[in-house]
Amino acid sequence: MAGSLEKEQQVVGIIEGEKLESGEGDRDMAPAAGNSIHRSGSRPQLDVSKAEIQGNVEEKYPTILLPNQSDDLSHLALDIGGSLIKLVYFSRHENQSADDKRKKSVKERLGISNGNRRSFPILGGRLHFVKFETRKINECLDFIHSKQLHCGGLESRYPDVSDQNGIIKATGGGAYKYADLFKERLGVSLDKEDEMDCLVAGANFLLKAIRHEAFTHMEGQKEFVQIDPNDLFPYLLVNIGSGVSMIKVDGDGKFERISGTNVGGGTYWGLGRLLTKCKSFDELLELSQKGDNRTMDMLVGDIYGGLDYSKIGLSASTIASSFGKTISEKKELEDYRPEDISLSLLRMISYNIGQIAYLNALRFRLKRIFFGGFFIRGHAYTMDTISFAVHFWSKGEAQAMFLRHEGFLGALGAFMSYEKHGLDDLMVHQLVERFPMGAPYTGGKIHGPPLGDLNEKISWMEKFLQKGTEITAPVPTTPLAGTTGLGGFEVPLSKGNTLRSDASALNVGVLHLVPTLEVFPLLADPKLYDPNTIDLSDHSELEYWFTILSEHLPDLVDKAVASEGGTDDAIRRGAAFARAFSAHLARLREEPAAYGKLGLANLLEMREECLREFQFVDAYRSIKQRENEASLAVLPDLLVELDSMDEETRLLTLIEGVLAANIFDWGSRACVDLYHKGTIIEIYRMSRNKMQRPWRVDDFDVFKGRMLGTRDKKMPRHKRALLFVDNSGADIVLGMLPLARELLRRGTEVVLVANSLPALNDVTAMELPDIVAEAAKHCDILRRAAEAGGLLVDAMINTSDSSKQNSSSVPLMVVENGCGSPCIDLRQVSSELAAAAKVADLVILEGMGRALHTNLNAQFKCDALKLAMVKNQRLAEKLIKGKIYDCICKYEPAN
Amino acid sequence: MDLKKAQTDPILDPNQSNYVYHLALDIGGSLAKVVYFTKDDDHFVDGEEGLSHRKALEKSNGSRQYPVLNGRLNFKKFETSKINDCVEFIKSMKLHFGGSQRQAIPGSQPIAVKATGGGAYKYADLFKERLGIILDKEDEMDCLVAGANFLLEVVHQEAFTYMGDQKQFVQIDQNDLYPYLLVNIGSGVGMIKVEGEGKFERVSGTSIGGGTFWGLGKLLTDCKSFDELLDLSYRGNNRAVDMLVGDIYGGMDYSKIGLSSTAIASSFGKAISDNREREDYKPEDIARSLLRMISNNIGQISYLNALRFGLKRIFFGGFFIRRHPFTMDTLSVAVNFWSKGEAKAMFLRHEGFLGAVGAFMSSDKHGLKELLANQVVQRTPSKLSFAVDKIIHGQPDGDESIECSVYAA
Repeated sequence: MAGSLEKEQQVVGIIEGEKLESGEGDRDMAPAAGNSIHRSGSRPQLDVSKAEIQGNVEEKYPTILLPNQSDDLSHLALDIGGSLIKLVYFSRHENQSADDKRKKSVKERLGISNGNRRSFPILGGRLHFVKFETRKINECLDFIHSKQLHCGGLESRYPDVSDQNGIIKATGGGAYKYADLFKERLGVSLDKEDEMDCLVAGANFLLKAIRHEAFTHMEGQKEFVQIDPNDLFPYLLVNIGSGVSMIKVDGDGKFERISGTNVGGGTYWGLGRLLTKCKSFDELLELSQKGDNRTMDMLVGDIYGGLDYSKIGLSASTIASSFGKTISEKKELEDYRPEDISLSLLRMISYNIGQIAYLNALRFRLKRIFFGGFFIRGHAYTMDTISFAVHFWSKGEAQAMFLRHEGFLGALGAFMSYEKHGLDDLMVHQLVERFPMGAPYTGGKIHGPPLGDLNEKISWMEKFLQKGTEITAPVPTTPLAGTTGLGGFEVPLSKGNTLRSDASALNVGVLHLVPTLEVFPLLADPKLYDPNTIDLSDHSELEYWFTILSEHLPDLVDKAVASEGGTDDAIRRGAAFARAFSAHLARLREEPAAYGKLGLANLLEMREECLREFQFVDAYRSIKQRENEASLAVLPDLLVELDSMDEETRLLTLIEGVLAANIFDWGSRACVDLYHKGTIIEIYRMSRNKMQRPWRVDDFDVFKGRMLGTRDKKMPRHKRALLFVDNSGADIVLGMLPLARELLRRGTEVVLVANSLPALNDVTAMELPDIVAEAAKHCDILRRAAEAGGLLVDAMINTSDSSKQNSSSVPLMVVENGCGSPCIDLRQVSSELAAAAKVADLVILEGMGRALHTNLNAQFKCDALKLAMVKNQRLAEKLIKGKIYDCICKYEPAN
Repeated sequence: MDLKKAQTDPILDPNQSNYVYHLALDIGGSLAKVVYFTKDDDHFVDGEEGLSHRKALEKSNGSRQYPVLNGRLNFKKFETSKINDCVEFIKSMKLHFGGSQRQAIPGSQPIAVKATGGGAYKYADLFKERLGIILDKEDEMDCLVAGANFLLEVVHQEAFTYMGDQKQFVQIDQNDLYPYLLVNIGSGVGMIKVEGEGKFERVSGTSIGGGTFWGLGKLLTDCKSFDELLDLSYRGNNRAVDMLVGDIYGGMDYSKIGLSSTAIASSFGKAISDNREREDYKPEDIARSLLRMISNNIGQISYLNALRFGLKRIFFGGFFIRRHPFTMDTLSVAVNFWSKGEAKAMFLRHEGFLGAVGAFMSSDKHGLKELLANQVVQRTPSKLSFAVDKIIHGQPDGDESIECSVYAA
């Protein structure tokens, strides 16, 4: 009788989705000429050509469509609800790295081959989340058609079979209602999937695949909860649609609807409509923001003359009876404020759902309760109320959790119902979530015809500037202090002045599936690993970095524009980039959790991603080149100097050299200023001379002990060292290469680990072989090692023969790290790096991005040396209680 | 001792206050309940009643207690918003001058009357001012439980089930009464786990209760009273307002999860239609949908709590039920549905008066004791207990009284 099961599609006309959703569509950028590494970039880029703003740009939430992409393979699934259509589609990519010579040789060297992997290799790709309003279903059909999503899969290769016998997985009430329309317009049949199956499959996927999917929401504060995919089940999934379903989930495909309630979103909207003049669910929800339920609800204080009923722990503001106050007053409906009515209703229903959910979780001993469904819609107040209820009734023992992708559970589940959806055995480290340019502005709703090209996208950014700034202006959601008593019926705190579903909601990005990403195998405990050293949940910290990034922006734009020849086009793109990135910053400033748990590494990577979106392939290209040349020119002198030293002095000088050379960093404002004061070698020497020990963090003696041993005890050499390199120029040439050379000389294999894609002036894996080759001209050790490592392929007639002949030397190799950020998250590194790490027993991390901002506290299974110069006053104070230009030489032997 | 001869005045004459010896109040958010005792010497006792009466007397002769008084426990309620009516009633009945104190003695100590409910605090001044009586506040839940325990232990056929128009009295073994869940549906709902005399704990509750029904009902219909709203609901059909499982699945059951097509998927879920305003729905249908929503919800939360604490019986009380068959039926169906038939909802005949009865029982019953001391046993009994002989119904939904014997120990 009481049961209810229902999803949002049954609630007609409710949702005016303005929830953010990622901009649309993307594909590998056109690679720069002769730049083969971009084709193998493990984190593919957005193709913004033909991007277009959809519909009226004067609209509050115009949408971007980037139709100009040829998704090689794709799958599409739909959840057609009464108000919204949710699309999930996956675009695949060919494995384009096969003919990359460097990679090929690295693979041979490291023993990686496709044969070791699946016979049918998993292809990388992207999972897109898109929404349309159901009443504008034609736009949805156009979209599918323009992307040819309906004839996806392998059939797209064979035009004669496409457009025929196409089947699209679909769920939701509309899967029945619009079946004929899809058949007629696209020639495809909708294959209907059970709603609850989809819901559960979708939730399972998200909770397992996305690191920061689940979050708690108490008193206006979001906190992401990291859930161990191996310890996920059982859980309670509460789907609040028109009615409420409560599902106990025991595993993939193992679930049971154990309860529910008929008092759900439909009740809120239905009663709300009868009691107010609201025309939409959102309008009703928005009203609640300005409401005061005390005019409607009978509170404990009303009954007890303002006193608490403390005996049973009810405070005066606890609701004794929802709407109970209206019975004793001689007022008509019209005498009450609709705002108050809406709030009272919202609290009544949210509280009730929270209570029943908790009782059911208790009954089945489920430790986690996830709430989803359209009723929540990222609405902070609703989430707070539900959280209050769960907290109150469980006496703090249970927590309500919510999902970032909650609106897409059904569509994702339908997607998962494809037999071959390409997401089998997906691991969390293989997914990278990206928030394309439009994310801060658009609701991800797509409508209207597609835009033409990048130019139009840029114009969109230009036109959008004003609107966007307006939209992303911060909304005060600061909790009021100390108003919460015992009662779960207290007024939750997160009430802004206006409802902005995009403000309270969390953005949904594009999930990039990169099957070649792996967890770095040398992490001591991947579960405990957190890449970020700085906690950005500290507000002042966040503000500081926002300011830093904002201030650095004009300089970056100048560099980027110059790198593209300073053309008018480049100038426009630069301006558009600046706007897009500023919009991201504004969005995150307003809602730091908008894109998931925010760390400094994410912010820095986002900037690089944003540059790439506007086709700034490598903003620092010419600077890097110039500095590499200048450094290489002085390298021979340096090597002579080093060779004249005894072993012990040389080791110290080498470490000093790494630290000194690390001053050449375009990511640091202070260093950029330094550049105007001298030549590279002058600065390098000056810097090295200043390297007075002891350094702020100085484990050099321990490191030296490990390297050189003592008189009594000779230490075995390391078998293989992984050197995570940082900047181009002096940093790599005068700092890290000489250190690598020393290791090689001692018989340790060296793997230089560099970025897959450019980030600031960081050296990339693609650039390294040329630098090594150039250095090898002056150094026999480097030459033989590079040959052994297959780095000098172009110079040799037969690579494999040569490397065999020269195998007297240990090899020097280069692998890409799998990312395009100045920082590195070691949970997601390239499979090459993971393979190279298998026999490594020394890890050297160099530079602020990889050794300070991230990984300063990382623990490894092997010996680890972290080297960096702190080129930021605040960081120096914060991390090492020191000052700018202090150095860190942190050595941690393997346990 | 023949008490019948001692008093001759008719009970129903409000101007005669002679018979009122004891009084207790429960002033809730919506209703004020009064329980008072009148001596019952002049009522005719017809054959059958007399028989049962005598039986009761005989039965108790074996014990060390002895019957000292026959009389009636009377139950009366007022809307709290019309608290003045209640004050006037008490004034007219001179109820507060119970026992031997027939007349208020100017300058004497004010009389204390046991009272419970939030209004005992809120209206304390009013009672002091208007009637010169002090409301002696008793804890609400103590009273509720004491009242329920008294009724369940003492009143034969107090508890009953109600399913599909079938009312069935449940005989409860006094020795097997505890623990039970007491769900008191007043303006809000309190759920109390009762383990014995004075042993209980409020384990849960919900703010969606009688006040919600009446409050929302008042806003949605033009009803002027709770009872009117209840009457409306009886004539309504919730299909017009509620979204049923069948509405979603094209008239089919969602058998996979055991939901019939008539199960409510979403209360008021059909009221979201763009082109229908409140005026376009029948108030009857709205009232019915509202009643079902609230009853259903209370039934569900009650069952979940009973399950949680392993309580085998759930008693529903409080003014919301009002012996309204449809309300009871909905609650029963909800408990039956959620427990898959394993639990049954039970109701109390005096469901609205638990608190007032409890307050009555919690007092030391000075009025009665004085009466007895003066007229009956010549000494003040240390303890009084009651045996119920007969329930005399008043108007449907109106006030009623219980004929009972008072025993002194």
